[in-house]
Amino acid sequence: MTHAETVMPPTPDPILIEDLMLAYGAQRVLDGLSLRVPAGSITALLGGNGAGKSTTLSALLGFTRTQSGTIAVCGIDPAADPDGARRRIAYLPENVALYEHLTAVENADYLLALSGERQGRGAITDALAAAGLQERAWDQRLGGFSKGMRQKVAIAVALLRRVPVLLLDEPTSGLDPRATADFNGLLVQVRARGTAVLMVTHDLLSAADVADRIAFLEAGRVAHEVKASGPDRFDVRALHARFQTGSARIPA
Amino acid sequence: MSVVRLIARDELRLMARNRVAVIAFVLLILLTLVAAASAWTHQRGIATLRARHAHAAEAAFKGQPDRHPHRMVHYGTFIFRPLGPLAAFDPGVDAFTGNSMFLEGHRQNSANFGDVRQSSLLVRFGQLTPAFVLQVVAPLMLIFLGYGALARETERGTLRLLMLQGTSRGQVVGGKLLALGTVALLGGLPAMIGLVAIAAEPGALAVPMLVIALGYAAYLALWAVLILLVSALVGRTRDALLALVALWAVTVVLLPRVAPDLAGAAVPLRNRLQTEVAVARDLRTMGDSHNPDDPHFARFKQAVLDRYGVATVEQLPINYKGIVAIEGERLTASLYDRHAKASYAAQARQIGLVDRVGLLSPAIALRSLSMAAAGTGFAGHRRFLEQAEAYRYALVQRLNRMQMEAVSYADDGATDAGADRRKRVAAHNWQAVPDFRFVGPDGHALAGDALPGLAVVLGWLAGASGLLALATRRLGAR
Repeated sequence: MTHAETVMPPTPDPILIEDLMLAYGAQRVLDGLSLRVPAGSITALLGGNGAGKSTTLSALLGFTRTQSGTIAVCGIDPAADPDGARRRIAYLPENVALYEHLTAVENADYLLALSGERQGRGAITDALAAAGLQERAWDQRLGGFSKGMRQKVAIAVALLRRVPVLLLDEPTSGLDPRATADFNGLLVQVRARGTAVLMVTHDLLSAADVADRIAFLEAGRVAHEVKASGPDRFDVRALHARFQTGSARIPA
Repeated sequence: MSVVRLIARDELRLMARNRVAVIAFVLLILLTLVAAASAWTHQRGIATLRARHAHAAEAAFKGQPDRHPHRMVHYGTFIFRPLGPLAAFDPGVDAFTGNSMFLEGHRQNSANFGDVRQSSLLVRFGQLTPAFVLQVVAPLMLIFLGYGALARETERGTLRLLMLQGTSRGQVVGGKLLALGTVALLGGLPAMIGLVAIAAEPGALAVPMLVIALGYAAYLALWAVLILLVSALVGRTRDALLALVALWAVTVVLLPRVAPDLAGAAVPLRNRLQTEVAVARDLRTMGDSHNPDDPHFARFKQAVLDRYGVATVEQLPINYKGIVAIEGERLTASLYDRHAKASYAAQARQIGLVDRVGLLSPAIALRSLSMAAAGTGFAGHRRFLEQAEAYRYALVQRLNRMQMEAVSYADDGATDAGADRRKRVAAHNWQAVPDFRFVGPDGHALAGDALPGLAVVLGWLAGASGLLALATRRLGAR
């Protein structure tokens, strides 16, 4: 199988978004959005409902065509070559869709085989264990799995796909605090191997725990961006106040 | 393994893990096997029975003692239509049209003793033959196995999951098509094995068998494409199932049942009683050889006398009664031929109408293809009737010529004590009469008859494939 790929000039950042515009009629969904996620870093994208977070992920995955601006995944325009871009992305949606007639191991095996990254059972079970799925569930069909268990399977698949970009949409939604902490630990491992992680979330604590940068999205553009610094990384109280009041403003 | 094969394998795995799907598939296989076995046994039994009856009728005719030839004209004989090997696959109209005929002088009898007339009305709902199973049951089974192939992926969000692995829409649809095609192939396999068994039979024709195999493969492929098309267009599995069952009910059940009724209403066909009355009416106007004042036979008699240069029939060197019998048979045969041709023409118009409805129903087109290639359709029946009439006419005229040449006019009218003995012709004359042998068309002719139906099925397949290609582009766009 060959895919025509529209390769843009090389960029050091696996995720590059510049001045992205998207409007449905008079409603501007993305309004000059610019965002870069360097390799080996985690960026958390926060914002209220309708701020454009999910649309941003959808555009990166090639499901939504924007009207102007630049968007690239490892130099590939997802609108021009969605299959090419998707092969470089592991994506964990908020509502995980997996195959209920397959076991956890079979789901992982099937999805990895489709993406051309087939791995042995050992690697798959290691990833499932790392994602926190109990061993007795590995060979059970997903029909009886809880939302959290399904999410762990999806996380395992995302981990196994050694791609340069990981997109996460509300990844800790549905996970208990212990599982959330475990998941954050996994993200740190993923970052350590050079993956660019973009995480859309409402979970401020989780974002503050693992993100290198937190971007606040408001009305389709990044209104504020904070980098981790110092031993405390972020002033969570200040972030929370900003998030609660929506006081993020575009710097003058 | 390619992405298309991976998706196909997963779809097959889903079916294999669905108890209902497995039961449906096993039932289809069993049904096809039972149909193939029972149709095969039935066909062999009928072929043997007809051959035995044909032999008995021939023996009875040839075993007649010395007789007056005209007594033999009325004694007549039975002939039977032999069944070709492909009738085991698709018996077509054989069960409805009758398969034996009584041949006698002065009249053409219609075929008698169709199986349906000898059986309960249940038989009319469809015989269990491989053709019936593949035409009617297999599409329904494919629908139940495949209706959710794409709609389920859309409904549950796994279509996007597939695409996120870098899988294209075309690969998804290709994989599903491969899976459903594999199921269709496996479902049709017992019937195809039956076809191969038929191929080993004496008299089996390869070309029509290939056309049948191609036609049924295209038909099942068409259903696989239609199922995926509806499954792609309709986002919900329940709606896809309803739409497909409705499509099946209309194209496979309703139209094939309604079309012949519509054709029958549009082109009325005389029933047997009406035909008998019409023939009797025409016979009265045609001429009566027993009436000395009949103008036709008066002219005929004079022409015969003139030809031989004699004044009376007694002076003729041959038996005038035999000459009159020949002329009478010629006249009645031409009259019956005229009515038969009118009936054939009406039936052909009816079939033409049904075939036009077949443009809306691939099941009708396939049925037409299947019967034509098997030689069990209307064309095959007509071929039998025409050959039977040609044989009957030749037989009766042969007997009439015997009367004309071997029985003197004086003896033919004599009533003295020894007259009956003198009127008789030796029994070896009956034994010299050739037997009826139905000559079927060659393979290329049968295949040619099947081509219009094949063209319709292939046209449907091409159209549905084009629509599926368009639907594939929009797959998951909602």
